Amino acid sequence: MTVSNAAESPPAPSSVSTLISSTPTPATPYSATAAQVLHSLQHQHLWTSLETHPLTIPNSESPIYLISGIPPHRVYTHPDEQLFMLEKGLRDEDIPPERVFALPLAQGQSWSLRRMAAVFDSLSDEDVEPEISEEGEKAQKLTEYYEGRKVARATKEWGGKRMLLAMIDKGMGGDGTVVYYVIQEGAVKPRQN
Amino acid sequence: MNTTPTLPIPISYISGNYYIFSVDAATYLRREHHICGVLIGTLPLIPQQNVFLGMPLELMPEEARLLVEKGVACIVDEKKAHNDGIKSLLEEDRKRYIQDLESQGLHARRLQLQRQEQSREEALRKKEEKKAAKMKKSAEKQQQSPAAGDVAEENSIVDFFAHNQQKEQGSGSGSSSSRPSSIMVDEPYGITPTTSYPPLSEAFSDKLLPAPDVRSSYPLFAHLHSKGYFMSPGLRFGCQYMAYPGDPLRFHSHFLVSSVEWDEEIDLMDIVAGGRLGTGVKKGFLLGGAERKAEVSEAEGNESIRMFSIEWAGM
Repeated sequence: MTVSNAAESPPAPSSVSTLISSTPTPATPYSATAAQVLHSLQHQHLWTSLETHPLTIPNSESPIYLISGIPPHRVYTHPDEQLFMLEKGLRDEDIPPERVFALPLAQGQSWSLRRMAAVFDSLSDEDVEPEISEEGEKAQKLTEYYEGRKVARATKEWGGKRMLLAMIDKGMGGDGTVVYYVIQEGAVKPRQN
Repeated sequence: MNTTPTLPIPISYISGNYYIFSVDAATYLRREHHICGVLIGTLPLIPQQNVFLGMPLELMPEEARLLVEKGVACIVDEKKAHNDGIKSLLEEDRKRYIQDLESQGLHARRLQLQRQEQSREEALRKKEEKKAAKMKKSAEKQQQSPAAGDVAEENSIVDFFAHNQQKEQGSGSGSSSSRPSSIMVDEPYGITPTTSYPPLSEAFSDKLLPAPDVRSSYPLFAHLHSKGYFMSPGLRFGCQYMAYPGDPLRFHSHFLVSSVEWDEEIDLMDIVAGGRLGTGVKKGFLLGGAERKAEVSEAEGNESIRMFSIEWAGM
């Protein structure tokens, strides 16, 4: 009795599966990976204003996808930047979160230095002109911080272009885990965590 | 202290490895060219002692090549140089060399004896002074309380020994000053030279080898080295190199470095493993390699280096 019941009504697809099947066509392995990562960023890490950006890379028929969004907290602070903020009396949460890019990758996906470099080349290294919504002393500090950051960006003192690598495993151990790594262009000294 | 060896420094190529045998050369390379190598020498009698190793210095092929390209060093076929050198050594040279070693040994022996003598005299002098001070003190005490019999007795014992010792010292110092020069100086210390130049001549021109063959990771190695990083082998962290921002004696390393070729397939698990391990030991994982531009002819060393630092995002 129960067996026939199960055959009649298969279990409802998971929300990720629904999401993947509802993503815009053409559905490729890359778009499915991107959808899963997007789901994780949206619901597990509570990122907002999420967007996907198709990107054509060398030696690949179908485009890969970059995801960008605004995280609730700062994802990365360079050690020198941290020192600068400390000197100015700014905390991580004083600085409004900014748009961060993430590159979804799946275990087993063909990947090379050439492709990595192509993705980085497609990122703009221009500083987004920030709007300061605070007032008074804090606004002053933030202005100083943004000026300092502009200088550091030109000299790459606080690291070059950066994004998140979001990696999933679709095979064995494909348990929905997404691991995130910060990847930056150039030799950027490690954080003292 | 800051001796500069004659350039180019000979790097000895022995059974597939590259060695530096001269201390001056090793310190010079470390100081001026940020090449540390790995010390591999241990003590012949305690070969298990492998915590503090000494000369010789073994160089990675990359390090050897870098030095050759800079014109700082040359690769010498050590086997050939040694065989030829020994064969061409004249009997006269040999004798002179042995004599030279002997006189060095004698000199070392004399210095050692002199030092011993000095420290002995110093010790005796101190003892004497102490004794004198004590005697003075006890004499004062006796004057203060002449009635205390046992104290007087004790003092007399002390005096008795002091007297004896003084006697001994007198005779001892007399003989010791004459003894070493006559008996022991004749036996020179055995000197073990760390290099074989001299007696072999330093004319290497016919024993030179071409710059070492290196792995495809060499461009990244050379690039990081040119940025001022000190590079060392990466066995300890399962990577190709470790990059230190300064001398490894003063700094922790910043990066675990792995090199990949431009179109080499990267396994994402390697990124996860390297990134996670690096972050766990407060380092970054540096993945990089030489960029290969499609249109430009590849033979022409027209390469630029692309590298990426990876850290765990903690989310």
